[in-house]
Amino acid sequence: MLAAVLALTPLSAAAADEPLVGLADPAALRATVYGTPPQDVPPLPARVPLAEINIALPWAAKPRPAVFWFASRLRAWFAEQPGPAPLAIIISGTGSDGNTEKLSLLRAVLYQAGYHVLTVPSPTFPGFIAAASTTGVAGDLQQDSHDMYLTVQAILAHLPRRVHITDIDIIGYSLGGANAAVVKSIDASEHRLRLPIHRAIMINPPVNMFASINRLDKLFALSIGTGDVGIERLYQRIYLRLANLYRASDQIRLEDTDLLAAAAAVLRTDTDFAAAISLTFRLALVNVFFAGDLYAGTGVVTDPHHPPQPGDPTEAIERRLRDLPFSAYFDQVFVPYYLAHRPGASRDTLIAASNLNIIGAALRDDGDYYAQTNADDLILDQTELNWLRSTLQGRVAVYAHGGHLGNLGDRQQVADMLAMLAGSWKGQTQ
Amino acid sequence: MRRVGSAGWLLGLCVLLLGGCATGFSMRSLPAETPAADNAAAVQKQQQFMADQAAAAAAAKSAAATEPAGIGPPLTAADVPSMQTYDPWERMNRFTYRFDARFDEALFLPAADTYRRLPSPVRAGVHHFFANLVEPVSVVNYLVQLRPVPGVRSLGRFVINSTLGIGGLFDVATHLHIPSAPTGFGATLARWGVNPGPYLVLPLLGPSTLREGGGFVADYGIAYWIDILHLYRGLVSWVLPPIDAVDVRANTSFRYYSTDSPFEYDTVRFLYVRKTLIEDDRIRLWQRGARDPQAPAGR
Repeated sequence: MLAAVLALTPLSAAAADEPLVGLADPAALRATVYGTPPQDVPPLPARVPLAEINIALPWAAKPRPAVFWFASRLRAWFAEQPGPAPLAIIISGTGSDGNTEKLSLLRAVLYQAGYHVLTVPSPTFPGFIAAASTTGVAGDLQQDSHDMYLTVQAILAHLPRRVHITDIDIIGYSLGGANAAVVKSIDASEHRLRLPIHRAIMINPPVNMFASINRLDKLFALSIGTGDVGIERLYQRIYLRLANLYRASDQIRLEDTDLLAAAAAVLRTDTDFAAAISLTFRLALVNVFFAGDLYAGTGVVTDPHHPPQPGDPTEAIERRLRDLPFSAYFDQVFVPYYLAHRPGASRDTLIAASNLNIIGAALRDDGDYYAQTNADDLILDQTELNWLRSTLQGRVAVYAHGGHLGNLGDRQQVADMLAMLAGSWKGQTQ
Repeated sequence: MRRVGSAGWLLGLCVLLLGGCATGFSMRSLPAETPAADNAAAVQKQQQFMADQAAAAAAAKSAAATEPAGIGPPLTAADVPSMQTYDPWERMNRFTYRFDARFDEALFLPAADTYRRLPSPVRAGVHHFFANLVEPVSVVNYLVQLRPVPGVRSLGRFVINSTLGIGGLFDVATHLHIPSAPTGFGATLARWGVNPGPYLVLPLLGPSTLREGGGFVADYGIAYWIDILHLYRGLVSWVLPPIDAVDVRANTSFRYYSTDSPFEYDTVRFLYVRKTLIEDDRIRLWQRGARDPQAPAGR
């Protein structure tokens, strides 16, 4: 919905009334926010059957904080083929659930191509943290992916007997891409309970998670600023444009579900687009930070001895968290937790562990790992892009434009993805 | 005795359902997705939006040449409401929100999912039938708002759909280019300058404000008073509201805790109240003599 409505705003509406952010390419910013225009997606199936899976996972970290009362079971979504078929597992991006619009689009094209499709939330989604994480402290690539691996195993073990799976592939986008690759590597090292996962595709993955997130935090500081003042300014700007737009037009009807989409449709400048991207990420971080602080008992924004209860006001906590970058989470929650729970760990080893090169050898030597990314992806720099290219040795498609996930679901990306899954991808022709 | 037994059975069922039926794994079949149709609709929406934008730009240009825009000076930063929301009953509201979420998950959503499996023409008929019952309430409210044009339009819709549309089962009026534009007592209060008041989460109905909640009660009172075909009295009055509610739920995409965020209450409150305030601004503007947002374009 958001992408669809965003795509409606003519680019010519962009006004140069504010300075460029300077940290990212303007076209990449817009592509990231707009997503793939609906006319650029390949033909889609008329109907995709869908079931919602709810599963209680016994290893979930305990005790679950009372404010997560609604997340005792993990939600995943399954589209089942009528007969025997390969299974595609798709992992969502940072902070997202297992049924986003992007997942829905990928599910449609994969179902049409003959796959059973299982979509799962990101390990950084609050529902996953509360229902499936062994630690409650998200952000460690290996640990999160291990939790994901256990989760996928449990779901597959519970599927009805009629579901006949002939092969298993795994796909993920954004952070979910890195998770997908690490899940496959964990599966490969598993001897007794191997699934086995055949191919893995990373769509717009980070290489160095720490660096990517810091880049987004920098974008936040540049486009929004710090403190409540920055957020308040952004809010005023968007509210004013929305209210004035509504004043001037009879066409805009404010349906509940359209409010965010309408707000996004009034974005104009590079600063606006950068603010929308970095704020989306920051709001995902707010949940991760809050959950981590509660589970680790670090007391940064919550009192470990008197944790918040379901009826307690939380606005003040959220306001405080909105102002805290990832580095604050890393240093005040993540590092203290892992130093206490992982013998021999240090801040530096934890940073190093957030890099895709922890499975560098597998990516290099196993021909069943693939990646798709864009030359102007906001979360990668040139060195990281080169690393992907040299490590995957021709098993990476790098498109010239698209920003971060801005071309997910377009004809070329889908055609390449399906060819990669089939093992018939011949490399990039463009 | 029998009544007590039924009530006990019902209570037990509710407790069981609201308790969450805690089993380890469940797989609930949902209505199938329709990606091709959804994408076609998105393309159409995009084209429509582009056309509307062009038309609006052209209209603004010609209006600027002939007459003042009629929408007053644009809002400024001073007009933007605070980011904080007036919520003096927050604890009670959070409790109700939690109750609503459980009720929705246990009863409302499964009922809506089942309902969505009915053939599309049947669902459309049900939807139109209930929408048609709202038209007389809109007529009364438009009259109290002193807005005769949309009032007459609502009355026309009711007459056309009740006759040609066979008791409201078919929305013939929309095909005759008389689109639906329902209003309620909440909007009537807003029109006469009543502010939204405190944020209020209503049992079963969800996010609202004191004004809108009061408006809902008043609208039901108006419908009860009119009592079309005696549908609001007697046994049938106990049967119809649940069907209406399931139809509304089946056509509402919102799902409690789909974000799984502990801050969802704050986010929903923020968005709901901002939406209400923006709509209020439009209504206030109309009071000052600007174009009626509900009036047909060009009038």
